[in-house]
Amino acid sequence: MKKLLIPLIFLSLQSFCQDNKTTMLKYPNSTGDIDFDSTLDRKDFQLCGKGYGYQYFNDGKGVLYEGEKKAIEQSFKEKYKSQNASKQTGLIRIRFVVNCKGETDRFRLIGTDENYQEKTFDKSITEQLLTIAKELKGWKPKAFQSKTEILAYDFYQYLIFKIKDGKITEILP
Amino acid sequence: MKILFYFLFLISFHTYAQPNCNVYLYAGDTAQYKACLLSEQIQEYQFHRKFHEKFDEVLKICPNFAYAYREKSTAYLKSGDFITWKKLIDKAVELEWRTNLGYRGWCRYQFFRDYEGAIRDIEKLDSLANYDIGFGQNGDYHLNLAKGICYSAIGQKQKAIDIMKQQINTPNYEVGLYDYYQLGVTYFEIKDYQNALSCFEKQAKINALAENEYYKSKIFKILKNQDEANKCKNVAVKLYKDSKILFDPYTHHFNKVYWEEIENL
Repeated sequence: MKKLLIPLIFLSLQSFCQDNKTTMLKYPNSTGDIDFDSTLDRKDFQLCGKGYGYQYFNDGKGVLYEGEKKAIEQSFKEKYKSQNASKQTGLIRIRFVVNCKGETDRFRLIGTDENYQEKTFDKSITEQLLTIAKELKGWKPKAFQSKTEILAYDFYQYLIFKIKDGKITEILP
Repeated sequence: MKILFYFLFLISFHTYAQPNCNVYLYAGDTAQYKACLLSEQIQEYQFHRKFHEKFDEVLKICPNFAYAYREKSTAYLKSGDFITWKKLIDKAVELEWRTNLGYRGWCRYQFFRDYEGAIRDIEKLDSLANYDIGFGQNGDYHLNLAKGICYSAIGQKQKAIDIMKQQINTPNYEVGLYDYYQLGVTYFEIKDYQNALSCFEKQAKINALAENEYYKSKIFKILKNQDEANKCKNVAVKLYKDSKILFDPYTHHFNKVYWEEIENL
């Protein structure tokens, strides 16, 4: 029995807590919140609520777009000018706010390479993606509904683009 | 306001079952035990600032508590922040692969369509585990089915078929809600229409889907059987209108078919 206990104790020591280093991070009220930035955002874009930070999936209905995701894909297929760019491979996410009227703004972009390491893509790619994303007009408003009231709310939406050598291979979610 | 509270209540649950804290106590790991007990008290929604601050407190007690990293990673996953998500989930996998490796593989597939990465994680888990590696996080697919889907996505259709068939034929395996559909589409893609039809018939009995009928209609069209093609299209239209479709609130299923495609059959 002793023979068994010794290796068990030895193994379990590896997961014991000896390192007390932690990094204190400051978090937004809700993960991924996007504050107004006068250098980037439209001044005439109105939020309907007080910024509760709802996400597109909170209502259980997922992405709601006129013509479904197919229409989003079609917009990028028609407008995005692909180019052969051998080092332009990875993921680009554009996150933004859809207000209670289905209008959009506060677009923010991040990118990674294929190994999830932060990456800045060529502007010819990111600016095109941002422009086309801003032109999407089919977002359907979301609302809480009860028997007596309907309360439309603002929510966060994102689009992720899988990019291979400068070409869009998939659009998510 | 009541509606808002009800709404937040619905979405406030943690992403998966919390660990049994006594496991750490019995192992003599008092720090993980204390961290685990503290994590049990966290009730906030996973996107909320306090949720993250409280899990930071948990990690102060025990920086090696894998569960905390995984819990913190979830909001980043769901908001599409692949950079932060990956750092956190990698830490969770490093500390505790048994509960996190398959999960990371599933998320790579579901949220980022990182097919190669998902395959690597699932195959690694399979090589380490001597038990059934189980289902993906949302329960839609067994991880081996997900692996098959990933091989299909990268063009290795026959390998995908072999993997899916092997899982479906595993003794005591309860066939999933979409297994035969995904296998059927893969057969369709290599133009094996008889096997594809056979799968779609089985799928229809388990879980009727508009997408399933869409593919049946396409096959009948190819086989010059317009009557059957029309019948299947009509069924597809009805099922779509009844929301009997491939659906997930976070992402879109692999081989999802949209209304426009069904309409234009």
